[in-house]
Amino acid sequence: MTLLLALQYQFEWSVLWTAPYGRWLLQGIVTTLEISALAWLLAAALGGLFGAFRTMSGLGPRGLAAAYVEFFRNVPLLVWMFFWYFGVPQVLPATAQDWLNRHGGEFVAAVVALGVYHGARLAEVVRAGIQSVPPTQLEAALSTGLTVGQAYRRVLVPIAVRLIVPPLTNESLNLLKNSSLALTISVTEVTFMTRQIEAYTAKGFEAITAGTLIYLGLCLVVAAVMSRVERRLAIPGLVVRTEGAEH
Amino acid sequence: MRTHARKGSAAVLALSILLAGVVPAWAETTLEKVARTGSFVIGTRTGSPPFGFIDKNNQWGGFSVDLAKLVHAGIEKKLGKPVKFELKESTPTTRIPLLTSGAVDLIAGTMTITRARRESLDFSVVFFVTGAQFLVKKGSPIRGLRDIGGKRIGAQQGSTNEKVIREKHPQAQLVVFPDQPAAFTALAQGKIDAYTNDGVQLAGLKAKAPNPAEWDVVGEFYTYEPYGMAMRKNDSDFRNLVDFAMMEAIEGGEYQKLYDKWFGPRGEVPYPLSESALIFLQMQVIPR
Repeated sequence: MTLLLALQYQFEWSVLWTAPYGRWLLQGIVTTLEISALAWLLAAALGGLFGAFRTMSGLGPRGLAAAYVEFFRNVPLLVWMFFWYFGVPQVLPATAQDWLNRHGGEFVAAVVALGVYHGARLAEVVRAGIQSVPPTQLEAALSTGLTVGQAYRRVLVPIAVRLIVPPLTNESLNLLKNSSLALTISVTEVTFMTRQIEAYTAKGFEAITAGTLIYLGLCLVVAAVMSRVERRLAIPGLVVRTEGAEH
Repeated sequence: MRTHARKGSAAVLALSILLAGVVPAWAETTLEKVARTGSFVIGTRTGSPPFGFIDKNNQWGGFSVDLAKLVHAGIEKKLGKPVKFELKESTPTTRIPLLTSGAVDLIAGTMTITRARRESLDFSVVFFVTGAQFLVKKGSPIRGLRDIGGKRIGAQQGSTNEKVIREKHPQAQLVVFPDQPAAFTALAQGKIDAYTNDGVQLAGLKAKAPNPAEWDVVGEFYTYEPYGMAMRKNDSDFRNLVDFAMMEAIEGGEYQKLYDKWFGPRGEVPYPLSESALIFLQMQVIPR
């Protein structure tokens, strides 16, 4: 810290809450949460659907799911941002383009890019969760006279869901952090706002530090919520790995 | 909860590493740093023709880069030994941190000298004069500042025009992009109705566009944008060196040659040097 004091840099933390910068940061947080939440819902829907497809015996759904996963997972998210913002609207009819231009096409593009990318990664999580339920469990369920549907609903899914929660937490945090890439397509989220404050005040250190702390705070909240979910779902006697992967 | 405590201490550790990392060697002047490292690093643009841009042959250069090369020659003369001349990309949002962290020694791009920026940086004399205008598709109803109410106006993050529109013309819908190529693509695709930036930059975008005839640079200058080279604060020896290099270029005709090379009728971006701008530049040349 003494080293810092020796610098000729005038720290001015007040830029973070003086008007209009404090409001900008709050707006940025709201936008980040909006795109992250919507993208999360999209990712969860796509991930659940294609993850289940990948475990099916039919070649059609399985091939489709494999194609979806490999296609969207193996391209950088930044490229997807540009693709959905600069690429896709161009091939849409003019009326759709106009509508997007007037109704925040950048917002839509950010949500779709984040959603399909993380959906592909979630599909793998879901698949792994389903496949790590031992087949003997299903056999046992069927032998007690449950129908296939009942066995899936009452035995396989409950176990798989509990297996999925820790990696899902991880993926949710990644999605939240990756939302910062939306600044490249003019979405005014947290990182955009920190850069904006920096541009206006030349107080980059304070602005970017605020950004890092905001993401840290948001991620800790998400992680806390998810660990509560995990505890609520826990079944006494059912041992499920509780070690999440590295964040 | 234990994991949270771990996370917290890890964050503190990471932050302290970060803090340690941003401590530049403030003790040394730019000239000392260049002498020690053996290279002079400038920050410039990659998409702002003709000041700093990558041309069709993938060559990175421009008017600002050529002026910075004159500074480079001055440094070599001063130090009495050759030093490397290096380019790094800088954008309006990165240029200040690049400079203050010591990653670059001089910003030679398209930076407007402002009083606010002079609080944290030092600037050379003015090397170019322009003002903000609008780039629109031919036939657009936008002909200037009074037509932008309710329209989607694109701007570049960290630019002075973005600030003016945001603060003085809130009736416009501002859409901000981190870099110029993205903003231009958005304009070409109709995502924004106009793109505002310094007139000369817009002329540059128009000149580089696939079909220059379909673009118009419109409106009176609504800001005054004097470009200068930026450097770290409180280093007057280096600032003198930069300034004197500019002055010698203006009085020796070198500046006009470079101007003609880049802005002349056959240059990258035709943009005639006005009489008043030339007089202003010459007036900055102080006696030897």
